[in-house]
Amino acid sequence: MDRELLIEVGCEEIPAGWLPDLTAQFGQQLDARLKEFRLTSSGPVETFSTPRRLTARVTRLAERQTDLEDLVTGPPVSAAFTADGQPTPAAAGFARKYGVEVAALERSETSKGTYLTYRVRQRGKATVDVLADVTGALLRSLSFPKQMRWDAYLEDGKGDLVFARPIRWLVLLYGGRVVPFVIRRTEAAQGPTVQDIRSGANTYGHRFLTTSGRAGRAIKVKTFDDYESRLLENFVILNRAERQSKIRRELETHARRLGGRVSHSAHSSLLQEVPDLVEYPSVVAGHFPAEFLQLPQEVLTTTMIHHQHYFPVVDEEGHLKSAFLAVTNMQPEKPEIIARNSERVLTARLRDARFFWDEDRKAPLEARIARLSTILFHKKLGSYREKADRVAALSAWIAAEAFGRPEAAAPAERAGRLCKADLATDMVRELTELQGTMGGIYAREEGAPEEIWKAIYFHYLPIGVEADAPPTARQLGRAALTWAAVSLADKLDAVVGMFAAGERPTGSRDPLGLRRQAQGIVKILADLPELTGLDVRLTLGPLLMRAGNTFGGYADASGTIASFMSDRLAYLLEQRGFDVRNVRAVMHGRAENASPLDARRKLEALAQMSGSQALLGVATLLKRVKNITKGIAAPTSLSRAMLREPAEQQLLAELDARAPVIRSAATRGDYREAFTAIAALQPAVAKLFDDVLVMAEQEELRTARLGLVATLRDLILEIADISEIVTE
Amino acid sequence: MTLQDLILKLSSFWASHGCLLQQPLDLEVGAGTSHPETLFRVLGPKPWSVAYVQPSRRPDDGRFGQNPNRLFKHHQYQVILKPSPDEVQQMYLDSLEACGINPRQHDIRFEEDNWESPTLGAWGIGWQVLLDGLEITQFTYFQQVGGIDLAPISCEITYGLERIAMFLQRVDNVFDLEWGGGVTYGEVRLQEEIDQSKYAFGQVDMPNEQFAALHRELFDKNFAFAETLLASGLIWPALEYCLKCSHLFNILDSSGSIGVTERTAYILRVRQLAVKIARAYVEATTPPVSAAV
Repeated sequence: MDRELLIEVGCEEIPAGWLPDLTAQFGQQLDARLKEFRLTSSGPVETFSTPRRLTARVTRLAERQTDLEDLVTGPPVSAAFTADGQPTPAAAGFARKYGVEVAALERSETSKGTYLTYRVRQRGKATVDVLADVTGALLRSLSFPKQMRWDAYLEDGKGDLVFARPIRWLVLLYGGRVVPFVIRRTEAAQGPTVQDIRSGANTYGHRFLTTSGRAGRAIKVKTFDDYESRLLENFVILNRAERQSKIRRELETHARRLGGRVSHSAHSSLLQEVPDLVEYPSVVAGHFPAEFLQLPQEVLTTTMIHHQHYFPVVDEEGHLKSAFLAVTNMQPEKPEIIARNSERVLTARLRDARFFWDEDRKAPLEARIARLSTILFHKKLGSYREKADRVAALSAWIAAEAFGRPEAAAPAERAGRLCKADLATDMVRELTELQGTMGGIYAREEGAPEEIWKAIYFHYLPIGVEADAPPTARQLGRAALTWAAVSLADKLDAVVGMFAAGERPTGSRDPLGLRRQAQGIVKILADLPELTGLDVRLTLGPLLMRAGNTFGGYADASGTIASFMSDRLAYLLEQRGFDVRNVRAVMHGRAENASPLDARRKLEALAQMSGSQALLGVATLLKRVKNITKGIAAPTSLSRAMLREPAEQQLLAELDARAPVIRSAATRGDYREAFTAIAALQPAVAKLFDDVLVMAEQEELRTARLGLVATLRDLILEIADISEIVTE
Repeated sequence: MTLQDLILKLSSFWASHGCLLQQPLDLEVGAGTSHPETLFRVLGPKPWSVAYVQPSRRPDDGRFGQNPNRLFKHHQYQVILKPSPDEVQQMYLDSLEACGINPRQHDIRFEEDNWESPTLGAWGIGWQVLLDGLEITQFTYFQQVGGIDLAPISCEITYGLERIAMFLQRVDNVFDLEWGGGVTYGEVRLQEEIDQSKYAFGQVDMPNEQFAALHRELFDKNFAFAETLLASGLIWPALEYCLKCSHLFNILDSSGSIGVTERTAYILRVRQLAVKIARAYVEATTPPVSAAV
């Protein structure tokens, strides 16, 4: 009979940011361990979590393991018997290992010959007898962003059991009965106050809340349903989605009562985080003195959201009200106590912020640049003082040379020089999330023109790769060009500099966030016209090279950075929903020649032409051409005299006619026209392959024909390697 | 509850839970962790439970007595429990209750906050404890000290005394706190805060370069002498001179006397010294393993 399995790992508070992933791992790993131990379940593993527990439930888990039958291969028969038919030591040893006579072994044919084999039959054990091993393996299989030693080990011979935080209890029930399992404590720690953790049927409710008896006492449970409802009685909402919707509901109610609503920018990230901070959420409303509304809005929201996990409240026009909503882990008898205390904490923080605001504005941003020499950018790349110089020069160069807008060079240089200055302000030292933003605000306060203050304000952006990821052209206003120059310069400096310093991201390790910086670069380049009104199709190579100049001419000889960058470009394009094959087609060729804007436009054109059979036809034939012309360069001039067949003549004529069209369309960036012209080659190319044998016997003729198709190949490859778009 | 009543409450609470009551380290330190009662005692296998107040100096936090929440010097109540008891969180919550904080009327949370001291080669895993949004305690399970893996694991509970007293007295300015017997915190400490802040930020009748040079020299001399003491096997004094270096480095830093690359070099030097001292302590206090018969 199938029975219910319930596992709850009771823990001290697990970091909120880890819980979503850890809960998923808990389910996946339990599922994998059950399979590994041949325990079949009908229905999936369900998982739940709160800061103090990881819970899994399997509704119906088989009572026994499935039987195991396995064919173990021994020595080859040729090496198993001596000339007189006696078993060799190899054969005898193999039989002994399984406790049988050599005669009892089977023979099996394999591709390598006949082997002695033994059929292992193992009858499945009762589930209760293997669940301890499953649990041990489950606990060991979880991984944590930072693991903790807590003087615990398992009796599986693998030593210390590290975990997220100390485990305090363990519910392990199968069919309502406790499965014995023990987490041991090391000899050094064990004593009257440090004890083994033994599995049981007891869970624990909310630390402080209860409907009856003493809060935090043990609660005996038998089934999952029982467990879930007993927890609820004891103020633990097991289901995260329910906690979240309770929070959402109460936020809305309170905001309405305050005559406003909850700001949407706060909603997304904070609303994702708070359900993992609480077991029984309820919302408390508070106010802060209205005088603080004179602080920049960014300072208020950052203080509330990042530092206090409070939700700001806005009025109908989106202006902040002097109120906030705090999600507590309580159902307070007197919410006004918590509200008043929270108000005092927030007010103290805002008072600090106002102090910084007043102090910081006493000295101009310019004066902070010298102080940047005390803030390290990277040990091999020096301080932010040096970075400011590099970014200033690079910003000016990008504006004047890359963008071809010399008049923007001076403001770009100025914004570039100032963009890191806020790192030396008190406000940013306290509210690091406001870097850039604060510099922009201070520059604005000093009367810097929009081109400069907004370039500073937005220079850490973009973060996302979506076309509409902020900042938008509207937000940027007159600062679009300088912003693009400074934002590119800052990120190029980081990526190229860090590569020069040997800090290249590997696998999932990217502590300096270089992938995101690189994505920022390609995003700006790909959306340059929309963002800045500037239609320049910049390639990566010259930008990387110019950025490298400032690192003692760091040369990307092996093209590592360029290919890192083009990977990020491919990522961006795929994220935008372009077909993976099309992305490959437009990303052909050397990475440093890649132009994000060109790549994007080609993909838009290809997407528009996705139904074109002619283009697909050319693509298929291009694939053939590429195969037969491997290693063959197109001739500088075609041996026209040799190409006298009508099909050859026709293709020649088509190439002569279309090549200028394709090239001119490409120069203008009109890839729709370019691909249309390529598609129009289809009949002539098809006819050539139908009528003529390219690989002619006669060498001179063959060379001429290969030269013709290689010329065709190179013409198409100037635009894209459309052979990639062919469906296999 | 006055500040001194709070100290008395916590002391009697932890004494009744088996802690020795120790006295503050009579040196300039940034936190109770630097006290040998923590730094040394958490090393090695010997169980140890201790509690003490530690005046803690953070030159960078000096605000000339003008900020209601920030101080050059504040007071920590430090508790070390080795090994860390299973019930340690509950014990901590009971200690708050003993101080008059009813957990059923407030929102008390343990939110992730790990601790690291680069100069001491030490780090731990833990939380900041929030009381209605106010950070009142740092709660840490030490993992390494002096670069040495700890076994058993010690729990460090560091209460911010001024914060908790302000909460209990419903005071918005630290200088308005009642220290005891009607005397305010300001009366006791305001002038000290002003003077110490001026010093920390180099507002001394001495040219900046000379101020910096003097502190570098003090650092170097203390550092060299710490090494001499260590070489002489005098571990306690060696730690004290190492801690003096750590404080001098903080002053060099807050007064803007050192550049950024130099800053990392200073941190590294102190750390290497702290690691050597920690090793020496372990060697000196671990009973020699008797040879297997």
